[in-house]
Amino acid sequence: MGKLGRTDIFEAVFWLLIAIIFYAFSFNFNQPIEIYKFGATGWPRVILFLMALVALGNFYHAFSKGSKAQEGRVGAKENDDPIEYTSASQYFKTGMVLILPLLYAVSLKPVGFYSGTPIFIALIMIAWGERRVRFILTNTILIYAILIGLFMLVLNAPLPQGNMSPFYDISAFMLKTKTQLDQMF
Amino acid sequence: MIENFLVGTATLFGDPFTIGIFIFGVLGGMLFGAIPGVSMLTLAAILLPFTADLSPAQGVMLFAVIYCTGTYGGAITAILFNIPGAPENAPTAFDGYPMTQKGMAGKAVGAAVLCSAIGGVASALVMMSATEPLAQWAIMNIGPPEIFALVFFGLAVASSVGGRTIWKGWLSVLLGLLIATIGQDPVGGINRFNFGYSDLAAGIAFVPAILGFFAVSEIFIQAEKNVSGKYSAPKFNVDFPSFFELWAHKIAVVRSIFVGFFCGILPGIGATLAAFMGYGEAVRWSKNKSEFGTGKLEGVISSETANNAATGAAMIPLLALGLPGGALTAMMVAVFQMHDLEPGPLVFYNSPELIWIVFAAMFYANLSILFVGLIETKTILYLLKIPFQFLAPMILMLASIGAYISRGLVLDVIVMFIAGIIGFLLRRSGYSIPGIVLGLILGKIGEQNFAQGMQMVHYDLGTYFSRPICTILIVAGVLTLLKSLHSAFFQKPKVI
Repeated sequence: MGKLGRTDIFEAVFWLLIAIIFYAFSFNFNQPIEIYKFGATGWPRVILFLMALVALGNFYHAFSKGSKAQEGRVGAKENDDPIEYTSASQYFKTGMVLILPLLYAVSLKPVGFYSGTPIFIALIMIAWGERRVRFILTNTILIYAILIGLFMLVLNAPLPQGNMSPFYDISAFMLKTKTQLDQMF
Repeated sequence: MIENFLVGTATLFGDPFTIGIFIFGVLGGMLFGAIPGVSMLTLAAILLPFTADLSPAQGVMLFAVIYCTGTYGGAITAILFNIPGAPENAPTAFDGYPMTQKGMAGKAVGAAVLCSAIGGVASALVMMSATEPLAQWAIMNIGPPEIFALVFFGLAVASSVGGRTIWKGWLSVLLGLLIATIGQDPVGGINRFNFGYSDLAAGIAFVPAILGFFAVSEIFIQAEKNVSGKYSAPKFNVDFPSFFELWAHKIAVVRSIFVGFFCGILPGIGATLAAFMGYGEAVRWSKNKSEFGTGKLEGVISSETANNAATGAAMIPLLALGLPGGALTAMMVAVFQMHDLEPGPLVFYNSPELIWIVFAAMFYANLSILFVGLIETKTILYLLKIPFQFLAPMILMLASIGAYISRGLVLDVIVMFIAGIIGFLLRRSGYSIPGIVLGLILGKIGEQNFAQGMQMVHYDLGTYFSRPICTILIVAGVLTLLKSLHSAFFQKPKVI
């Protein structure tokens, strides 16, 4: 197996799968373009071919030289000391760090920005290891107030309102209050 | 030229409201550039509808000023948090962030302030004196084959920095190029890789992808360290570089001004490629190549001089040809169109006052980077003292708003967080995030110009290579690749 690690094999499979899957999907738009000889698939297929080729090069490199950084690579230093995972709870904690923001993004359409944001801010602090209740509450309120103050009151930026009751009603209440404030001043 | 410049200056500072807009642009660009998670593009997207109430000169001037100061502001977050405010600040993080980790943040930020101002002012001066002849030269000599060749060279340079190996550098660039093919193809308008989602027909928007790859992935990396108990706050330091430290890099500054200006003048390329090329050339000409990426002042200087040198140059194709060089200059076209104007050669004859107020404003905006930047920098360094548990959710929320605002789509926020997760995983494995982003930005430009170039030369490569600028750039790109491949096969791995 040379100097190959499990990650190197996984990486090679990952890149080759991307190349194969995207190549298969490229048949969905394999139509000729009258004014352009290479059509809509020419450019993406060259990229996919090169990706497969470079993935094999990457695999060969890992096989013959291991996965350490090449001498003289600029900007590669930050990757030299990855965190080793030793317990299931570590995986769970990092998993929560990655998944929570995505759940927040998906919930923006039904829940909206105004209702979902304070809950998300508090949850993300908990997921990142913060346990002091007063710290979480104070900072959640502070961050929320800064965001509302800057984007809603000063810049008048349109933010998602949600489409599900009671979240939509909360957004409507906030926007109505903002309009009343505008009229007062 | 001097007379026109004085007229522009008088118009700019003769009206209190215009002065107010100028100051707002200077401070707003710096602030939004320097707040991690949002960028000058967020501010520009929010302000775009309001420019309808301004005069055309005020509207375009506001965006030009935001462009200059925002390009500098993005360096602050790149240096302090490893989160480039914009793609053009990505190479700044290569050496800027290691300097922060070593307790030299003040030196890095100080160098960024000074070099951004130098690059910007030099670029503004050349822009004022030579916009028309340079535009003429560009029209005569630069066509789709040259732009494609420059994209190729830029991608070759980008692949050689950032990744743990040359293979990983190239895979990163190729992933960016592949993401750029999502959406309609630039020649026939045929939908590609939209997987049945109509929202993907317009492609993956730059802003959420960039925020995801840069800001969100960095927050995830720090959060991972935090939950594993390995997080350590960056060291706080406000020492600025001395005059002699900066003077020692005068050649790097001059070289980056040339590189930045050349890249900026080419339509569609903009400041991002300028920064990568400026950094790449600094590495190429250095006697101590291995020191780059470990906290070398020259890395920050080269990148920041080049990206600000591109700001003035990017106005040349915009104003003279009507071709934007990046996302913000594309918004400037929208400002022109809101006022029933079309940027192009006729603007110089029909609205000379507009041109010169913009030129004057850009000159003074770059000068103000030096003065306001030096005052602001000492304050901004205190961001390092804010606890991570407070700063990280704040950055994530600002990034969410920044991603949403540009198109008003929740999909963009989802794309941003997916890009953040992908970026986090790829960075752990030694792939290059700046490489992905450059591939994403240049992919569509490269494909469009390749297609147009091929149609121009009737698919005859001989004619393609008969164009000298095109040949030089392609040969330079191939040599860069061959050199990288040589080192990949014949160099020993780093001993850590």
